[in-house]
Amino acid sequence: MGATAAGILFIGSLILVLAAVHVPLGDHMYRTFTSTRHWRAERLIYRIVGVDPDAEQVWSVYARSVLAFSAVSVLALYGLQRLQSHLMLSLGFGGVEPDIAWNTAISFVTNTNWQAYSGESAMGHLAQMAGLAVQNFVSAAVGIAVAMAFVRGLARRRTGELGNFWVDLTRAVTRVLLPIAAVAAIALVAGGAIQNFADPHTVGTLTGGEQTITGGPVASQEAIKELGTNGGGFYNANSAHPFENPTSWTNWIEILLILLIPFSLPRTFGRMVGDRRQGGAIVAVMAALALISVVALNAAQLAHHGTVPESVTAASEGTEARFGISNSATFAAATTLTSTGAVDSFHDSYTSLGGAVTMLNMMVGEVAPGGVGSGLYGMLILAIITVFAAGLMVGRTPEYLGKRIGAREIKLASMYFLVTPMIVLVGTGIAMAFETPRESMLNSGPHGLSEVLYAFTSAANNNGSAFGGLTAATTFYDVALGLAMAFGRFLPIVLALALAGSLARQTPVPVSAGTLPTHRPQFVGMVAGVTLILVALTFFPALALGPLAEGIH
Amino acid sequence: MNVLPGWLRRHVAALRALLVFTAVLGVLYPLAVTAVAQVPGLKDRADGSYVSSGGRQVGSDLVGQSFTGEDGNPLRQYFQSRPSAAGDGYDPTATSASNLGPEDIVDEGGEQSLLSMVCTRSKQVGQLEGVDGSRPYCAESGAGAVLSVLGPRDASGAVVRPTRVISVNEPCPAVPFLAEYRGVQVECAAPGQDPRAGKIVPVRGSAPADPAVPADAVTASGSGLDPHISVAYADLQAGRVAEARGVPAGTVRKLVEDATTGRALGFMGQPVVNVLQLNIALDKAAPYRG
Amino acid sequence: MLASTLLASAPAALRKLDPRVMWRSPVMLVVEIGAVWTTVMTVLDPSAFAALITAWLWLTVIFANLAEAVAEGRGKAQADTLRKAKKETTARRLTGDGGEETVAAAELRRGDLVVVEAGQIIPGDGDVVEGIASVDESAITGESAPVIRESGGDRSAVTGGTRVLSDRIVVKITQRPGESFVDRMIALVEGASRQKTPNEIALNILLAALTIIFLVAIASMQPLAIYSIANDPGADGGFALDAHGVTGIVLVSLVVCLIPTTIGALLSAIGIAGMDRLVQRNVLAMSGRAVEAAGDVNTLLLDKTGTITLGNRQASEFVPVGGTTGAQLADAAQLSSLADETPEGRSVVVHAKEAYGLRERHPGELAHAEWVPFTAQSRMSGVDVDGRRLRKGASGAVTDWVRDQGGEVPHALAAVVDGISASGGTPLVVAEARDGKARVLGVVHLKDVVKAGMRERFDRMRAMGIKTIMVTGDNRLTAKAIADEAGVDDFIAEARPEDKMAFIKSEQEGGRLVAMTGDGTNDAPALAQADVGVAMNTGTSAAKEAGNMVDLDSDPTKLVEIVEIGKQLLITRGALTTFSIANDVAKYFAIIPALFVALFPGLDALNVMRLSSPRSAILSAVVFNALIIVALIPLALRGVRYRPGSASRLLNRNLLVYGLGGVVAPFAGIKLIDLLVQFIPGID
Repeated sequence: MGATAAGILFIGSLILVLAAVHVPLGDHMYRTFTSTRHWRAERLIYRIVGVDPDAEQVWSVYARSVLAFSAVSVLALYGLQRLQSHLMLSLGFGGVEPDIAWNTAISFVTNTNWQAYSGESAMGHLAQMAGLAVQNFVSAAVGIAVAMAFVRGLARRRTGELGNFWVDLTRAVTRVLLPIAAVAAIALVAGGAIQNFADPHTVGTLTGGEQTITGGPVASQEAIKELGTNGGGFYNANSAHPFENPTSWTNWIEILLILLIPFSLPRTFGRMVGDRRQGGAIVAVMAALALISVVALNAAQLAHHGTVPESVTAASEGTEARFGISNSATFAAATTLTSTGAVDSFHDSYTSLGGAVTMLNMMVGEVAPGGVGSGLYGMLILAIITVFAAGLMVGRTPEYLGKRIGAREIKLASMYFLVTPMIVLVGTGIAMAFETPRESMLNSGPHGLSEVLYAFTSAANNNGSAFGGLTAATTFYDVALGLAMAFGRFLPIVLALALAGSLARQTPVPVSAGTLPTHRPQFVGMVAGVTLILVALTFFPALALGPLAEGIH
Repeated sequence: MNVLPGWLRRHVAALRALLVFTAVLGVLYPLAVTAVAQVPGLKDRADGSYVSSGGRQVGSDLVGQSFTGEDGNPLRQYFQSRPSAAGDGYDPTATSASNLGPEDIVDEGGEQSLLSMVCTRSKQVGQLEGVDGSRPYCAESGAGAVLSVLGPRDASGAVVRPTRVISVNEPCPAVPFLAEYRGVQVECAAPGQDPRAGKIVPVRGSAPADPAVPADAVTASGSGLDPHISVAYADLQAGRVAEARGVPAGTVRKLVEDATTGRALGFMGQPVVNVLQLNIALDKAAPYRG
Repeated sequence: MLASTLLASAPAALRKLDPRVMWRSPVMLVVEIGAVWTTVMTVLDPSAFAALITAWLWLTVIFANLAEAVAEGRGKAQADTLRKAKKETTARRLTGDGGEETVAAAELRRGDLVVVEAGQIIPGDGDVVEGIASVDESAITGESAPVIRESGGDRSAVTGGTRVLSDRIVVKITQRPGESFVDRMIALVEGASRQKTPNEIALNILLAALTIIFLVAIASMQPLAIYSIANDPGADGGFALDAHGVTGIVLVSLVVCLIPTTIGALLSAIGIAGMDRLVQRNVLAMSGRAVEAAGDVNTLLLDKTGTITLGNRQASEFVPVGGTTGAQLADAAQLSSLADETPEGRSVVVHAKEAYGLRERHPGELAHAEWVPFTAQSRMSGVDVDGRRLRKGASGAVTDWVRDQGGEVPHALAAVVDGISASGGTPLVVAEARDGKARVLGVVHLKDVVKAGMRERFDRMRAMGIKTIMVTGDNRLTAKAIADEAGVDDFIAEARPEDKMAFIKSEQEGGRLVAMTGDGTNDAPALAQADVGVAMNTGTSAAKEAGNMVDLDSDPTKLVEIVEIGKQLLITRGALTTFSIANDVAKYFAIIPALFVALFPGLDALNVMRLSSPRSAILSAVVFNALIIVALIPLALRGVRYRPGSASRLLNRNLLVYGLGGVVAPFAGIKLIDLLVQFIPGID
């Protein structure tokens, strides 16, 4: 079989499996987040936490709970990293530097998983599993919880209540993330991913040299890293590392894990609002944008324009031989389309246009399909903006799922849409304006600019992947990107919840022939179009000076 | 509890929740997965897929190694791995890619550009394997063939009439790969000169579009630990290894085939050869008597 | 036509350059600030390019103001007419002791009683509490035929400024000083009292957000540009770029081209024009909110009588019973109705003529006829002539009469009568007594006649997703028959005023918006409750106060047009917003290559329009951006064409025209302008 045909089959098989799996998984999550029954284990958790699982929360209480949990998580993770040398399984590493520890704490709590640290040389096993891996679970669960609260805002009528954060958080962990992660972890072990608590082990190589083979609970962390669209690797090399991603088929599984929940949540949404077609439309928008991106990225990488790739005759720098260029490009598309940020190849060495696609994927706002949860509420807010901009054209006050999009709604939705690009653009602008941040660039010229632009795009959108050449472990970037991650995560969450609260209070307008249908291909095309145009317009100048300046000859 | 203000109560709940989840997800979950991974068939892999040669642990099946001598030069009797950016090469405690971009073509501050690295590697591999190591955009010297063209520019950015032309990757006293560019004599790069003063122009040259040295032989992997090379690169090396070991090329080719993994399910990834596996098999089947 | 209107509005447009006025449109305020900034820079460092850009930026702002001024200008003429009606009058106020005093109209208070006699101007809004008069309301409605106003009932409201033509009435003033109907009308048509409508506010927020994001995108580009040029010290940045980044004028041009100026400039004109379109149709909307709500209406509540049907029932069929022929029955029915001056009676005569060619006879022709008038007791009317005694009336009354006369009632009659009742009609039985023998001749079928074209209107409503509900005092059977014939979706039979109210509330509970018309005082609560309440100008003051629109023509079917105008208003806003944003694509392709091509020659590939030079590219984009505002003023005033149909089809068409068109049009426009401006010295 030719390489191209294999690459297409690789993508096609992922699409097929996702098409088959998103329905039962979406339905399962629907039952998970609408059921009134608690598992015994969950009751135990609620008792320990000290909350009444049957009490509902209004949006502001829900939001405060999210913020409280995240604040406590940041502090705990910071503390754990700083104090790791005093705890067991530290592998002899000292406490992590304060600015890196703060950056990493924010990074993992915000589901970004930007790696300012290098796993194998800074983090002991305990910090990895009890710190980072726990946040891999719960930050993903927070995303799902907020998405469910947002959907309830659309589905419910005349109530201020959006559910109970603690219940949503717990169920996301116990009923969705943990079971799938456990199965996936075993599969990864079968492929060769390691799972032990061994110290680094030095062996004599075949040629008589020495090589230190590392150990660690990698598979269990790798599974949730992909499933929770986190992306923070056990190792610096992330999913390119043979211990994290040993074979071409574990690579396939990891891509599937990345896309699994984000592509299934629209189904859950459709069920919750009582109209599966609505979920179908949302998943169609996501799929259309994702497919365009995957094809574009594959095309750019396989066409290998650029001086070095043309000299090499392939864009193989930074890719693993076992994956090949096409599968690596597909992974790169998946990881940047979701807020994952795990990498199995290094985007900094991608062709200019390929690198531009990875950036555009994030700039779209991580909605196609986006991070677990965040992708859904991000896409729904884009749908709301689309309904508003284009929906006026049917001659009615714009409404989505019967909820009128009035001044308050559009204010919140616009602010939501504004936040991330603002952080990206302002952050990039500031970094490029000063000498010190510019010195962190590995590459010069437009590519150096791309590295900085990528960093802020990745941080603000909670992706976590990088143009790795940028030396981000400096005080400036640790602080600036930490702020970008925190604002990029929590401002949108608060705005989304406020919007949900405002929508939930409304009495829905019944559907009539005059209602803009939001389940047809027409609407799918509109959302995709509005999204692309708004994003392209916002980032065109920056992209023109970065990857486009570099890539168009 | 109720005496506490609401915000504090919420943070206490948050802390308790975090502790519960840390216990369940941070301790029980990895322990449980590890426990399951102890079953036969999984345990070896969970431990790191260690491999032995001659009764001695020599590394992991999944982690690539350098097969170079103490001087850093390739050992002719071994198949060579890809270039690595992990530490000094294949260092699992410092995994890394080069992160150099597609237009990293100007050597600066004593650092080789990615283009020059590719060109140098291609030249070296060509020499080692006895094939033409030339590539597009590579000078014969093994440096990237890149000019800095100085002179006033027009509105569309083109240099109208070059005044000086410098081969930026060939420091003096090297002889530039090109004698003349648009009627101006090409100079070698004098120290302290800013190559960016001119317009940077890579020169493709006359190298074949399909170089003899495969792509993976001249580019570093993402992890720096890539245990594999392409089948093409293995085939290229087979003759040299057979010669060094004094065995028929067919024997080596057979071993290459054994160490080759095809695409999983026929379409995932690409066919690759595990270099450590291959070299261990070589040592066993055709020990080197150098 | 347009040119002269534009010219006439120019002074007003210039006056609106005051930043305190511009503040109402944040997008255009940004443009104005940019224009001031480029003016300063042009003065400091003059060049043809800078001067032209500055001029066109000012023109952009002026064009926007022009759009608003033109829209407002259209209401001016009407306002002037109204002002004439408002000239100072005096009032004859009744004093408590029964006397009369003369006061200025402006001093009238609510509750004052004034006397108005033929030839006098009514001094203020109020209700007639005594007397009946014909009134000339042409000053307000434009309708020259006088109307009757009388005390009591639903035709009691009079408007200040109208003239009494005959008789004498006493009017109870209901307005507060300075808040007369005419005052409000003037304010409305001039647009002075215009408040932003909810959708307009929301749209403004979106536009502000887009403006902010483009401002940030352009501002943050600056350090990137500085870095890029520093990175290539040998490059000449061209005129747009120097070591300090993109030059100020170019930067301002870029901002102005990207922020949504097209919709920002036309938004307020669209709103004013929407109100104006209502005024053209003689409807006064008391708030913009009501106009918008009209576009959103889900349910229309329509009174049967006068709205769906003509006011009265009409004879539609003669059904003979027994051995009678149709012609005999028609003859008898006609005779018995000759003296019946009610509309029903007249319709019997008309139908006899139409269906059987019976010449209409006049009561005078029948010398010895003795007319039996209709009374509530007898419930029948008739005539005794030439020994024939004819009676016509309610079924029960006439059959009793036949039996009393010794006649027999055929069994077939009951079936006919019931059949007509069941179909919603009213049966009138016609009987004859001759030679002491009485017999039933047949039945006249009276039915409600639905106005022509109603079914089509309701079909259109349904296509828009609007449910029509007929309200009637009739019984269910009758109501159903009419409802079926008229094509309404549902009906409320045997409705009392409180039923209407309850129905509106229940619809609103379900999230629906309800529109209704009304004129009577007992309609007032429902009018107030409805989201769109259209009061008839002929109605009571209470109704007019309660509704949020007044129809000066008092045509209840106008609701349909009001809904369409409301929709058109929203569509126009949406279409121009989409168009405005879609325009940006082409502008980027014009400006970004122009900015950076000297630095990155490859970016010339983005210059897909092949504009002749960076300067001409930027100028062309700015000129296009300004001209498109003028080009769209007529559309903003006229509104986007609205064809009733499903939302989906409507959207497809508008997306194609304004979305796709919005992407494509500027490519062509900018290229055309470039072909011209490249010949200007200093622009090549």
